Amino acid sequence: MATVPAWRAARVTPLGELHAPPRMTAVLLRLTVQVVLVASLWHGLYSRTGSTAGLDEGQAVTYAVLAVLASRIRQLDQYTGRDSVIQHMHYGTIVYWYLRPLPPQRYYALRAFGEQLYGFAWALAGYTVCLAAGVVDPPESAAVAGVFAVSLLLGQLVLYYVMLILDQLCFFTIRNNSAMLILIFAQNLLSGVYAPLWFFPDWFIRLSGFLPFQATLSVPLSIYIGRIGLADAAAQLAVQAGWVVVLALFTRWVWRQAARRVISQGG
Amino acid sequence: MSLKALRIVWRITLLNIRSSMEYRTEFLLNIAIGAIWQVSVIVFATVLLSRFTGMGGWDSSEVLLIPAIRMLAHGLMVLLLGRVHFIGRQIQEGKIDVYLLRPMPVHRQVQLAYFPTNAIGDLTVATGLMAGALGRSQLDWTAGRISYLVAAVVGGMLLEAALFTAVACAALRFPAADYWSGWLEELLGTFGSYPLNVLPRAVGGLLTYGLPLAFVAYFPAAVLTGHGHDTGIPYWLAAASPLLGVLAYLGSRLLWRWSLGKYTGVNG
Repeated sequence: MATVPAWRAARVTPLGELHAPPRMTAVLLRLTVQVVLVASLWHGLYSRTGSTAGLDEGQAVTYAVLAVLASRIRQLDQYTGRDSVIQHMHYGTIVYWYLRPLPPQRYYALRAFGEQLYGFAWALAGYTVCLAAGVVDPPESAAVAGVFAVSLLLGQLVLYYVMLILDQLCFFTIRNNSAMLILIFAQNLLSGVYAPLWFFPDWFIRLSGFLPFQATLSVPLSIYIGRIGLADAAAQLAVQAGWVVVLALFTRWVWRQAARRVISQGG
Repeated sequence: MSLKALRIVWRITLLNIRSSMEYRTEFLLNIAIGAIWQVSVIVFATVLLSRFTGMGGWDSSEVLLIPAIRMLAHGLMVLLLGRVHFIGRQIQEGKIDVYLLRPMPVHRQVQLAYFPTNAIGDLTVATGLMAGALGRSQLDWTAGRISYLVAAVVGGMLLEAALFTAVACAALRFPAADYWSGWLEELLGTFGSYPLNVLPRAVGGLLTYGLPLAFVAYFPAAVLTGHGHDTGIPYWLAAASPLLGVLAYLGSRLLWRWSLGKYTGVNG
């Protein structure tokens, strides 16, 4: 595949964002307010508590703020651009994905790559500002930073496949808005977006260990704040890599099944 | 609204319910999503309550009253006025232009666009939480207190509806403003469910005077539990929260009428 067409597909959604300054301003304002509110909340909660669930104030605030920033990585509004899979299924335009010289799975991957890269730029800018302002703590050592970077990359791959499965579900159900919302909720809850998983009961942490969601966010952030030590990080990275392989194989199989269900208009 | 208009609203609602039941699995999942969404608020509140006891000087049973009021108000809002939440999409699809041609107020047509099945789940969980909060409460539930609780729920519903109506008014002019309604819902869910005095004064002030979500449940719960004098605002203002909800909603409907008069359609 030529690099130029790939790049053009990858930049579609980011370009759409760059051409909508009001939306970018809204994102900036939302992110700023959310970071301030979340940091204030956790500082306030810890004002009478030293340490709980193995997390002190600095770790909890850092985790919560990084979770807010990380949630920006894959939060672009495809719906407005009418390019979400569910919309294509609804309007019947999904068939065009199968008529182009670019295979649909590659087009989807390129679009997602562009989105995640764009979102990462936002998250990185936010992180730099928060670090400079002392809102978040830096990683303990260069080794922790390195392992965190690897874990974050694996987490983003797992997130990509989880989101892909949600989209692939659209090929098999006529109406699936609710199922999508339920799965997105599960992803947010079990990955620790609402609150660090360490605050939850033991049975909940054990349950989430069997699911891929915690590999997306909870593991990299826990490595960053030192809640998962470097000695235990290798096992966690292996679990993340395992999920990447399993989900990659599964989604590949689902793409094949999905292609059989797509018919051009008129049958 | 005349009796004839009420009859039409009822008939369209029944048709909407039948229509939403066409896909049974989706219908049941819709109920589930309402319930699950609310459970997320409970999970968050429970986790915080179990880890950080005595939050803001409130005991657990008192704190529980805040999400109970907010969730019940939210469930009623979704059931009765919630379609305003999706107005941005209706504007983008040009449906408002169609509504303007029909002999029924546009706002009513927006509300009758579909039946909010998820409200069944919302209300089920919210009612359960309210029952739990009242069961754990040490307060003496006199007639006056119960009346204020009912007024607080209705006021909270109207205040939330007013906020979403204001966003809808902005969306009539700038369809992309719909983006804010998602965030508003997230903020209400995350920061509307516990004592805001745990936050710094400036942030608490922002959530009181900037985005008045403190009036939805926090202030009414503070008045009910005897914390009304520690909220950082005059007691009478905290106690008047239900009334503020009514006034805010009336104001938002006036704003809606004005915005609709200026509406020019997506294509100008």
